[in-house]
Amino acid sequence: MTAALRERPPAANAPALTPTLRVAGRRWLFWILAGAAAILVSVAAALVAGGSTAGGTPLAADNAAEAGSRALVEVLRSHGVSVVAADTLEEARSAARAAADPTVFFSDAEDYLDATRLAEMAALAPRTVLADPHFAVLQALAPEVAFGGVSGSESPAAGCDLPAAVKAGELSPGGNTLTLVGPEGPAALTGCFPADGDRFGLIERRQDDRTLTLLVDDSWLSNGSIDTFGNAALALNLLGQGDTVVWYLPTLADLADTGPPSLGELTPVWVTPTLLLLALTAVASFLWRGRRFGPLVAENLPVTVRAGETMEGRARLYARGDARLHAIDALRMGATLRLATRLGLPRTVGVDEVVLAVAEITGRTTEEVGAVLVDAIPANDRELVDLAGRLADLEHAAGRQAAPPPHGRMSP
Amino acid sequence: MALTGRFVALVALGALPIVLLGRTVPEALGVLGVWLGLVLALGLLDLSLAASPRSLALERDLPGRVRLGETVTSSLALTNTGRRALHGVVRDAWQPSAGAGNNRTPVAIPPGERRVVSLLLTPFRRGERRALHVTVRSIGPLGLWARQATLGAPGRIRVLPPFTARAHLPSRLTRLKELDGRTSLLVRGQGTEFDSLREYVRGDDVRSIDWRATARRNDVMVRTWRPERDRRVVIVIDTGRTSAARVDDEPRLDTAFEAALLLAALASRAGDRVDFVAWDRRVRGRVHGAQGAELLSRMVDAMALIEPELIEVDWSAVPGQVRAVTSQRALVVILTSVDAAGAATGLLSVLPELTRRHTVLVASVTDPALAEAAGERGNREQVYRAAAAERAILDIGRVSAAIRQLGADVVTGSPAAVPPALADRYIALKAAGRL
Repeated sequence: MTAALRERPPAANAPALTPTLRVAGRRWLFWILAGAAAILVSVAAALVAGGSTAGGTPLAADNAAEAGSRALVEVLRSHGVSVVAADTLEEARSAARAAADPTVFFSDAEDYLDATRLAEMAALAPRTVLADPHFAVLQALAPEVAFGGVSGSESPAAGCDLPAAVKAGELSPGGNTLTLVGPEGPAALTGCFPADGDRFGLIERRQDDRTLTLLVDDSWLSNGSIDTFGNAALALNLLGQGDTVVWYLPTLADLADTGPPSLGELTPVWVTPTLLLLALTAVASFLWRGRRFGPLVAENLPVTVRAGETMEGRARLYARGDARLHAIDALRMGATLRLATRLGLPRTVGVDEVVLAVAEITGRTTEEVGAVLVDAIPANDRELVDLAGRLADLEHAAGRQAAPPPHGRMSP
Repeated sequence: MALTGRFVALVALGALPIVLLGRTVPEALGVLGVWLGLVLALGLLDLSLAASPRSLALERDLPGRVRLGETVTSSLALTNTGRRALHGVVRDAWQPSAGAGNNRTPVAIPPGERRVVSLLLTPFRRGERRALHVTVRSIGPLGLWARQATLGAPGRIRVLPPFTARAHLPSRLTRLKELDGRTSLLVRGQGTEFDSLREYVRGDDVRSIDWRATARRNDVMVRTWRPERDRRVVIVIDTGRTSAARVDDEPRLDTAFEAALLLAALASRAGDRVDFVAWDRRVRGRVHGAQGAELLSRMVDAMALIEPELIEVDWSAVPGQVRAVTSQRALVVILTSVDAAGAATGLLSVLPELTRRHTVLVASVTDPALAEAAGERGNREQVYRAAAAERAILDIGRVSAAIRQLGADVVTGSPAAVPPALADRYIALKAAGRL
């Protein structure tokens, strides 16, 4: 409720406890600067270290990490071979068309291309080098070739008259092998770097005027091991024959569009932005409802101690210790005192006289009253409860019979 | 800074242009961005146009005291010293037990003008209740964003004991008046004073006929008596450990205050001089030499700030405290708790010293739940509880007997019964002339 009052002389402003923006900024300056510095340092560290970490796409032309192939690509370029990286079949096709004498380098670790597209890829250039071919790739492009298992540990020697293989001499050891199976087709097949007989590290398939070179181990081309054994010589001689290398590593974009339209295509265009807006609205409403209306006011509250706690505690002690005799004693003493007062006996009277008086007034035998008031010993809890009930009964009966006690003005 | 619900609604309203104008995803995202920018710009504009909540002069108008359970109006005058009209909400930050309720008051103060925000306070705890600051939220002209500041504006109000026992006062005063001018209906003790002579009327005690005066006049004259006056009553309240215990959801200390106030009101009307000491190991409150209405107001003032201390009472110093108040014979009323014999040794040890010089009355609150528990004997747990309760009642009886043996008197009862019982005992003592 507000009410206008008459004009008064201007008073001094009340002291503000909330710091102004400037003061708050100064107070938090250190932490703001520290946070900014931490972010800057981590970003810089990521930038510096980013190139050398063992991440990125294996065999990628621009990947300087262990698994990448930037070293090979750079050496090819310095030898005058232009290398064009392609992410999709379309790009690879246009790159191959643009070149006079293209070589296609292809590796599809994720199995993105289907058989038709593999065939299209293989038809792009007169020379195609396949690294780490998959089963599906072999099926589509070189049905006579199959996997031959893991080879031994010795470095394979060329073992064929392929110029690139001969120049390479030896390759780094280990890895998979390929083997020749099935009927002889129209293609001419040459196996190089043999391991125990008919298993090879490299197979060249020549059909019509197209050469398909299958390199079973892609690590020969990676930055990490290109400079060991004859790996570099093999790679450079295989890929450096033409004027252009189309470095084609398929990506998600190569997947064929098939099946019903996805959920994303069915939703209206405004759904995502509206969801974003909703999230922002939620944030705004948090700020709206969550903003505290000034600091809390503290108050010291008193301890709450119930007066009955000691009584409850003693009752639990009695119960835990099965102190039946203690318990019934307390009840009896209380009852005897009350009965004595009720019957007008002096406070100092003995319990026997109380028993006699109670027996007289209730018409019960002295033995019965004596047992309840003095003698009976409860052997178990049932007897205790029973005895306590009888004690209450006796008190009740005596109270009914006895005349109400005289009310003295001074008696408490 | 704070947002308003209107701003949130405005942000949500952005869904409309997004649905209507966004034909592709990037376009819809663009619309979203534009909308957010627009809304933010509006908010910032609103914020810059809002009046500063810091340019306010505050002035409190508070009653100094309130009885517990009563309602007072706390006024806060706000003067806008800035150049813009302030629209907003004001929160007067009282402690929770000041009973201010949901104190958000909308205000509109034109520049240079002054408005009063009134708040009804119904405190629900005794003691001093404080307001520490005032928070002002100044909302911009568009009602989107608000500036907020907390201004220091301390205020305090003293919440006095409720003195609900004053309901018993009229009946006790009537009984006190009956003592006045009475012929010797009761035995005339040392403490009754000769008042006046008057003519005999039928029904007067023939033993009170003053024969000498009858001889001087032609009528039969009787002497009348009135209770002694100008006696000392010293009320000692124990504020130690046991006074914190709650009986019937009221701390023992509060019941002791009620009883002390009723006794003080009664005794001061009866012409006695009342002094009050609250003691545990040091004096927590003291009223000395006050008379009439001033006595009660000073007592409630002193009581308002006293809280139970969780320490053992130093009884050995109590006779010294009483001596410091008066060297005359007095009625010493000790409001404490009478429970186990072990806890009462301190009190029992100093009682002889007190009873030698003074009439001593010990008043204590007993828990009515004890008698209730002692009567329930349905099952095993209840029987053990009944036994424990009976034991506690016996202990109280034993300590009471010990106190009586030392020459003091005892008043016990439930929290509601103790104040009138104490007043009755005082009247009885006065009638018997034992003060």
